[in-house]
Amino acid sequence: MAQLWPKKKIEIVVEAARAKAMIATIERAGAKGYTIVPEVSGKGNRGVRDEAVLSDVFRNVLIVVIAAEEVATRIVEASNAVLEHYAGIIVVSDVEVVRNEHF
Amino acid sequence: MSDLLQLAAANLLSPMVLFFALGAFASFFRSDLTIPEAIGKGLALYLMLAIGFKGGAQLAANGATALVLVALAAALILSFALPVAAYALLRTFTRLQVADAAAVAAHYGSVSVVTFVAATGYLDGRGIRYEGFVVAMLAVMETPAIVSGLLLARRGGAALTDGGPLLSGEVIREVFLSGGVVLLAGSFAIAMATGERGLAMMAPAIGEPFSALLAVFLLDMGLLVGRRLREFRAVGWPVIAFGLYMPLIGATVGLLVARAIGLSEGGMTLVAVLAASASYIVVPAAMRLSLPQANPAIYVPLSLAVTFPFNLIAGIPLYHAAAQWLARP
Repeated sequence: MAQLWPKKKIEIVVEAARAKAMIATIERAGAKGYTIVPEVSGKGNRGVRDEAVLSDVFRNVLIVVIAAEEVATRIVEASNAVLEHYAGIIVVSDVEVVRNEHF
Repeated sequence: MSDLLQLAAANLLSPMVLFFALGAFASFFRSDLTIPEAIGKGLALYLMLAIGFKGGAQLAANGATALVLVALAAALILSFALPVAAYALLRTFTRLQVADAAAVAAHYGSVSVVTFVAATGYLDGRGIRYEGFVVAMLAVMETPAIVSGLLLARRGGAALTDGGPLLSGEVIREVFLSGGVVLLAGSFAIAMATGERGLAMMAPAIGEPFSALLAVFLLDMGLLVGRRLREFRAVGWPVIAFGLYMPLIGATVGLLVARAIGLSEGGMTLVAVLAASASYIVVPAAMRLSLPQANPAIYVPLSLAVTFPFNLIAGIPLYHAAAQWLARP
């Protein structure tokens, strides 16, 4: 089996209006990339959030970042301020990647 | 009075209003009827293109005059001023806090393009002419209300995003370069530039089919509104009442302004519709970006599910009747 490298995976569900600010934060923290699922729906402390109606006010996006631990720490630390007053969920988990040089 | 009832009944029995009602009915009762999102968006673009082009062509035919500039200045002032009145009413008669009241107020200074389009359909159907530059007034009225609303919020002590400037770069892009605005203004300019020949080429697509496509689009709007009808818990009766009387106040101001600058019966009707209508596309997006403390579960249903149907069903014939009365010799 190929060698695996330990990384952190950060999954961020954030409302569309704040996605750009979140991505800017991720890049400033030094992450080399991210993946976006442009429309996710579900239920949280702001009730059911779905339907990209007209304006994107009720749309959530999912941003997935895989990065080294110190980058992940910086992202998590910075994201509290970004999420103030906005819908958002942040989870961090341990993962292993195959191509170390990509992260 | 009986004239008014006749007008209202005739409006109710138009395919546009009935398709809207069908959509609202279907989605309220959770029918699986949907219009694919891409088609809905395409129809919205078509309507923007069509009214922009028709407005521009009309202005090209009649020539730009000083009246146009006066009308545009009036539109700018209306959009700035209406949120101030709306904010005062909300803070006096409802329990909305600063951020929510300012956000709602901004919606009512801005405009609903679909309401405007429906009103042009209403006038076209009755063979009533209107000044083409009213479309330019529509474009002008989209944004000043956002500035006005954010100023009210800041003055009341509500926090703007990132403690930032009144209008962040992202908001400015969202507002001035939103697809609808670009297409509307662009079509208007293209029509001005190409004149009669341009209109002759576009007429087969933007003339006859307009009403039928508007009806399909309103079916889609009905589907959206029906879903929002279940979300009134956050709103409350005093605020819902505001969603019904604010259009009447706006329309009255609009009618008086339009009359003062000397617009025709059709023009007065459309300015009343502009002043009465509330945004539910551009302003919610801007408020969500700039004023996150304001709750979108209040301003979106209020504008989309209270004021929009009210204007579509009762407002347009009412404002037209008032304009007719003001325009009588």
